[in-house]
Amino acid sequence: MSQIPHFISTEPFDAEATTAAGSVVSERHAKASQARLIWWRFLRHKVAVVSLAFLAVSYAAILFVEFLAPYELNSRHTDFIFAPPQPVHLFHDGSFVGPFVYPLNYTLDMETLRRTYDEDRTQPLPIRFFCKSEPYSFWGLFSAETHLVCPPEGGTLFLLGTDRLGRDMLSRIVYGARISLTIGLVGVTLSFIIGITIGGLAGYFGGWVDATVQRVTEVLRSIPELPLWLALSAALPLTWSPLLVYFGITLILALLDWPGLARAVRSKLFALREEDFVAAAEMLGASPRRIIFRHLLPNFMSHLIASASLSIPTMILAETALSFLGLGLRPPITSWGVLLSEAQNIEAVALYPWLLLPMLPVVLVVLAFSFVGDGLRDAVDPYQH
Amino acid sequence: MPHGQAVRAQRRGASCFGAGSFLAVLGLAIAGFLCALPAPAKAQSAAEPKSLAAAVAKGELPPLAERLPKVPRVLPVDSACSAEDLGGTLNMLTGSAKDTRLMPVFGYARLVGYDTSYRIVPDILESYQIEDGRIFTFRLRPGMKWSDGAPFTSEDFRYFWEDMAKDPKIAKFGVPPELLADGEEPVVTFPDEYTVKYAWGRANPGFLASLAAATPFDIYRPSHYLKKYNPNYTDPKKVEAKVEKSGQRNWVALHFKKDRAQRNDNPDMPTLQPWMLSGELGSERLIFTRNPYFFRVDEEGRQLPYVDEVALTISNPGLIPAKVANGESDLQAAYLSFPNYPFLKRGEKRSNYQLRRWESGRGAHVALYPNLNAKDPVWRKLMQTADFRRALSLAINRKDINQAIFYGLATPGGNTVLPGSAFFDETLRSMWSTYEPERANQMLDELGLKRDEPDGLRHLPDGREMRIVVETAGESREQSDVLQLVRDDWRRIGIDLLIRESQREIFRNRIKAGSTLISVWAGIDNGLPNADTDPKELVPSTAEQLEWPGYGMWVETHGTGGEPLGDSPELAPLKRLIDLRQAWKATLDETEKARIWREALKIFADEVYTIGIVSGVDQLVVVKDKLENVPEKGVYNYDPGAFFGMYHPDTFYFACPAVDTAEKRP
Repeated sequence: MSQIPHFISTEPFDAEATTAAGSVVSERHAKASQARLIWWRFLRHKVAVVSLAFLAVSYAAILFVEFLAPYELNSRHTDFIFAPPQPVHLFHDGSFVGPFVYPLNYTLDMETLRRTYDEDRTQPLPIRFFCKSEPYSFWGLFSAETHLVCPPEGGTLFLLGTDRLGRDMLSRIVYGARISLTIGLVGVTLSFIIGITIGGLAGYFGGWVDATVQRVTEVLRSIPELPLWLALSAALPLTWSPLLVYFGITLILALLDWPGLARAVRSKLFALREEDFVAAAEMLGASPRRIIFRHLLPNFMSHLIASASLSIPTMILAETALSFLGLGLRPPITSWGVLLSEAQNIEAVALYPWLLLPMLPVVLVVLAFSFVGDGLRDAVDPYQH
Repeated sequence: MPHGQAVRAQRRGASCFGAGSFLAVLGLAIAGFLCALPAPAKAQSAAEPKSLAAAVAKGELPPLAERLPKVPRVLPVDSACSAEDLGGTLNMLTGSAKDTRLMPVFGYARLVGYDTSYRIVPDILESYQIEDGRIFTFRLRPGMKWSDGAPFTSEDFRYFWEDMAKDPKIAKFGVPPELLADGEEPVVTFPDEYTVKYAWGRANPGFLASLAAATPFDIYRPSHYLKKYNPNYTDPKKVEAKVEKSGQRNWVALHFKKDRAQRNDNPDMPTLQPWMLSGELGSERLIFTRNPYFFRVDEEGRQLPYVDEVALTISNPGLIPAKVANGESDLQAAYLSFPNYPFLKRGEKRSNYQLRRWESGRGAHVALYPNLNAKDPVWRKLMQTADFRRALSLAINRKDINQAIFYGLATPGGNTVLPGSAFFDETLRSMWSTYEPERANQMLDELGLKRDEPDGLRHLPDGREMRIVVETAGESREQSDVLQLVRDDWRRIGIDLLIRESQREIFRNRIKAGSTLISVWAGIDNGLPNADTDPKELVPSTAEQLEWPGYGMWVETHGTGGEPLGDSPELAPLKRLIDLRQAWKATLDETEKARIWREALKIFADEVYTIGIVSGVDQLVVVKDKLENVPEKGVYNYDPGAFFGMYHPDTFYFACPAVDTAEKRP
């Protein structure tokens, strides 16, 4: 066994250096607000940061879907039914042309009734950017016809292929994002308001209010979720406009999502209000309002944020599941679930696999939300080091 | 031709189809006499079916000659395989446990049935005779037996007539309409054990067709079986005990439950079909075994069916195309739709089957049915307005739908008869079914359906926006796809179309109740009618009709139920249609019947009671390479045709080593 070198510093020990005033880093920490501390801790979670950036871009994009999508939502191309994704090329005959596509030649094999599309390799058609193409009505406010990418003059641009009616899949996925992403946010906001209010009331007042709320949440939670969603969404009147159906579905999802949250809020409030620091605050004459918002809420904020960010993907998935089963949103509203329900047949799997592409954004968004939720939970937890 | 002589002629094996032309002769004493049978010669010498040989040898089953009627029905087929190689199990897939009802359709044993040229020929009957279109004499096959070995005689007809049709307890609504000629009952007599006679005062032209239908009107019952549940024949105490045991309300309910030959859900009920239900109901695999007493034989005198057993495997309808492509079905048409073509074609080699395209016998593959009996008074008025229906039809871009969904292989056009029928008229098919959105818009404007802005929705007279909910039975993806395209077209004339996918029973009930505005279904069932076909599909005739359930019920119940037509001028053409059908029933003149058909078709097309979209979409039929005798080309239709029934599935067989079919294929 070798001798471990033994070392003792002869420097005098400066106790101050380990506290706030002593080091630059500690000083910044000591003076930073709670929010800033959380943000710093969040930045340490690299995957969460990337996910957050992805979500930010996605949510920013749904503001401009009309501009981003190469085609309008309902534009059909009877000559290009079930066209596979069209590859984008950069080089033609060995020389650089920039992003372009070749025109598609459609042939129908009368023997097998398969539609085949061949690229006509003689004629590069450059893709246009910031260009005028199909007119659209931006958020129903004003008409415009500028798109980020447009199909080349006289050509087509089906980057993710087309469906059975010849509609561009990419455009439909982009339009679908507007519905699928917002349904989560709106739903979670609603269920949060309901959950915190009801849970807060139960936890703060206790007694019969608490007992009632508890029983109601128990009943609600004991009902199997999917059948209940199905029943409620089947009850939505068929003559409602698609927009109303959208809000109806959101409301259904929100109304069934709050009990878990209400319960958590209530039990946390119960536990914390008996804590010493609450008693101390009361001794010092703090008002109940200050106690709740300054002392109690930050203590279970981590839980709230985590469950919020984890609820959003649940809602997105719930919408997708409902629409997939044909009971959620209905065409002409296009959501990812609607797109997937249209791919619900053996042909899609065997012959037209690009129809299953809407799965990809669902998976990505749900994963991103989970990572962000994870990062946030770690960041806001005051006991996490 | 005297009756007895005809029977002798038949026993000699002479073919006497020529006599059929007498049908056309008005007022002759003998309107027609048909017989279908070539020589039944070698019945006695033919070998026992392999699967039954053991039972016969042990004496559990009488030998073949005693099981067959004296004159079996001989089908013009002769399998090259020996009795040793025939047999096997025919596997098919189906979507619901209720599809036991498909087997009596598949077997297609009827008193009389259609042959492949849509002539009615005797099947269970040995022969029949019609006088004046009003006196029907049926000659049964002596020696014919039910599947339990009990003799099939005129007693079985008598039981149905006297103990069921005339018994107010069983026939709650009186004698069934098929047995009424203009409301009049027949005089039914049973001259001997093998003869039955129905005589009306006036013609009953639909009678034979109702016996030959895919869902037949059966005028006989296994009396020896049902008597056990009828207190008039069996000790009431015993019947009571059976009622008790079964949990039914009374003996009538029990009798009814035991007597569901169409539904085919009672394994104990004797049958005349080639295959009979055996084993447990409610399993995932329904087995139908051969009827050892079946009355048809092949040219060599071998008893049919060739195939011993039919197995219907129940699976999710959406998965059936995938399973078929995997080779899990020997013969499949149900639950395959035209868009499955490329997928099924790809599996041909791998799973050793052939994908065939049979013609459809339907007037239209997809058609919209505006409900003239809609409950909502505002909508109802519109639906009853011919110009509104016409405008809806003119707004549909059928060519585009044909290209997008049917590969351009279908024929765009309205819901009328097919080119194979003598009454086909191109102008009727294209009447009001061209694509003229401008004209449609103008017609709607003239009806006072205003819109605020040029692209907006129109308003109903009471101010509501025009949103039409079109309901589907939720069984066909094609229908929903077509509706999606129609929605785009209708949006251009300011009408919003909402699709509601429902479920068949709910779908039917909502239409009957008038809750549905427009429904979608296939077009007229019989796209290949001749003058002798009852024009009932073009005319209010039953409560089942999607375009006018109320008026149909009114006609069906002779004005006791449903909705009376009233005097509004909009409904005048409808009254004319009803009168035309009465006239058709009253006449025996073929040219007059044809004239009536043409006029009815013209009114039906001009009034656009149904909005046909495309027709001529082939039915896909998947046939395993080893399954022989299934026609390459055929017509797949329910009535007439009974799907495969008209082609006699009892004559289909599995190739034996002697005839290697794999080598025959190119």
